[in-house]
Amino acid sequence: MSNRTLPRLLQSPAVVLLLIWMLVPLSMTLYFSFIRYVLNNLRKPEWMTPALSNWRGFGNYEFVLKSKDFIFAIQNSLLIVCSILFLTVILGVLIAVLINKSFPGQGIVRVLLISPFFVMPAVNAVLWINMILDPVLGLQGIAVGSINDLVDGLRAAPGVGWFFSLWPELTPISFRATQTSAYAVIIMVTWQWTPFAILIFMTSLQSEDQQQKEAAILDGASTWSQFRFLTLPHLGRPIAIVVMIQAIFHLSLYAEIEIVSRGNGNKNLPYLIGEFANNNIGAASATGIFAVILANIVAIFLLRIVGKTLME
Amino acid sequence: MGRIVLEQVTKSFGETQVIPPLDLTIEDGEFAVFVGPSGCGKSTLLRLIAGLEDTTSGKVLIDDEDMTSVSPSKRGLAMVFQSYALYPHMTVRKNIAFPMRMAGMSEEEQNKRIEAAAASLNLTDYLDRKPGQLSGGQRQRVAIGRAIVRDPSAFLFDEPLSNLDAALRVGMRLEITEMHERMQTTMIYVTHDQVEAMTMANKIVVLQAGVIEQVGSPLELYHKPRNKFVAGFIGSPKMNLIEGAEANKHGAETIGIRPEHVTASKTSGLWQGTVGVAEHLGSDTFVHVHGIEGCDPMTVRAAGDATFKHGEEIFLTPDETQLHKFDTAGLRIE
Repeated sequence: MSNRTLPRLLQSPAVVLLLIWMLVPLSMTLYFSFIRYVLNNLRKPEWMTPALSNWRGFGNYEFVLKSKDFIFAIQNSLLIVCSILFLTVILGVLIAVLINKSFPGQGIVRVLLISPFFVMPAVNAVLWINMILDPVLGLQGIAVGSINDLVDGLRAAPGVGWFFSLWPELTPISFRATQTSAYAVIIMVTWQWTPFAILIFMTSLQSEDQQQKEAAILDGASTWSQFRFLTLPHLGRPIAIVVMIQAIFHLSLYAEIEIVSRGNGNKNLPYLIGEFANNNIGAASATGIFAVILANIVAIFLLRIVGKTLME
Repeated sequence: MGRIVLEQVTKSFGETQVIPPLDLTIEDGEFAVFVGPSGCGKSTLLRLIAGLEDTTSGKVLIDDEDMTSVSPSKRGLAMVFQSYALYPHMTVRKNIAFPMRMAGMSEEEQNKRIEAAAASLNLTDYLDRKPGQLSGGQRQRVAIGRAIVRDPSAFLFDEPLSNLDAALRVGMRLEITEMHERMQTTMIYVTHDQVEAMTMANKIVVLQAGVIEQVGSPLELYHKPRNKFVAGFIGSPKMNLIEGAEANKHGAETIGIRPEHVTASKTSGLWQGTVGVAEHLGSDTFVHVHGIEGCDPMTVRAAGDATFKHGEEIFLTPDETQLHKFDTAGLRIE
């Protein structure tokens, strides 16, 4: 027995298990995507069991491509993912740099900042849409209402009344509407995932070389230059990690979309899969394959961009 | 120009005062070395001059101008750090260009200075590499290059050679001394290594617990140490300090004699002892002698071909003219 065989043999259970773990679902999805397979069809009961005799070729893919929501779902997936990435990275960097300085109550502030990350996504969505974003009962409705009341009161005031009568009456935004439901999802997921970015950036900032900063101070670098030329490049790697992990997570958002508007005006690929899976497993599987391809494209694309601009 | 004067400078961290009131003048063009055991405040003193630490009280004057509360970048000083402190994601060229870029210098002038600095530091072939791809010595040269291009009124070195191996350290030591001879700019150099201090400095400042023990040229310190601490710190191997009856004979509390000023013999001499360890360096042999009253072991320098063996009897005779005498307070008696 050569000296490499034994280690390989000992590794194999783990490797085989992982392969099964990945390959079985993927190949089943591939298989279902090429056959006709529906959960309920009275006219063609033979389609209700998966079998090779129901072979449909690329028919499911064609069906999905031609369905009215497919292109919209892809666009919307990208809109949601990119917006969340953009906002969480910027907010994450700014807040991490801010709380990296020592101040009284630092420990408590850090714990509080991390806490949104521990809220369940469905709970997060329910809280935001009902208690904060609701145009009547939520914080938004109350805030807009009180501003309107205040302006209304000032209109009658002597001297400045004419100025306030030029102000328009504000109307609260309904975040369950077709046009705005995607933004509601972006807002609540950004709130939930910014802590994740802060956490990663903060640990990275603590490993920043202080002598480099001192050298930069002596070299005449302003605070902004230090941030731009030292801190930001230092954060390049963690930013890439945050972007990668979040991109994968947010491509599969589901609970928030379901709770905010039940897919009204706001679908992504997983949501589309869910809709197809009510009956048409074949089409759902084909959409799943598209989702896998999209995820890979996004991942490679982001890795390139982030890697090039920040790691050099 | 680069005349640096400290007037009654103190520094406290919270309750602890690390530097009690201190006065020091470093003349333009001098190579001053701050030397002392670790924790003696020499780095803190350098950082006070650089402006990286604020003085608790007192004044820092550079070219007769009060710089105590001027920001570090406006003091016209350049600093080289122990860890090099290069910017890891920038190429060597960009690292060297950084201070000029921050000063808004023209591209043309920047390139001219980079080429000149690179040529004088043998870095021309490495300009497009990143610091991670360079050896320790090359990194330190980049750090020096980054300091040179600023054309500072004084260079500050904070233990720049501590991270290098012994052979490289000797080489860089020569290069820095050479650089000082060529540029004639004020340099302040912090080290805990008295050999570096002796070989490089025009002026050595010996510090202990934030207090200046003595200021002087290397040979002044070697021949006339002001107290026991300086006597023991300057010179390698250390000076032998003898207490008790032998010292009292000379009318002192302690007498000191350097290993190179003692003659060793196998047959006769003033003091008798036994050989401990004999260290053969080829050029010299350092013999550690036990059994001499008031000083155990006593180190003696003998010729390179001396054949003292462990346990042998040995006779020592000090050169009376080279004897240092210290009183009860540890101060030198002339």
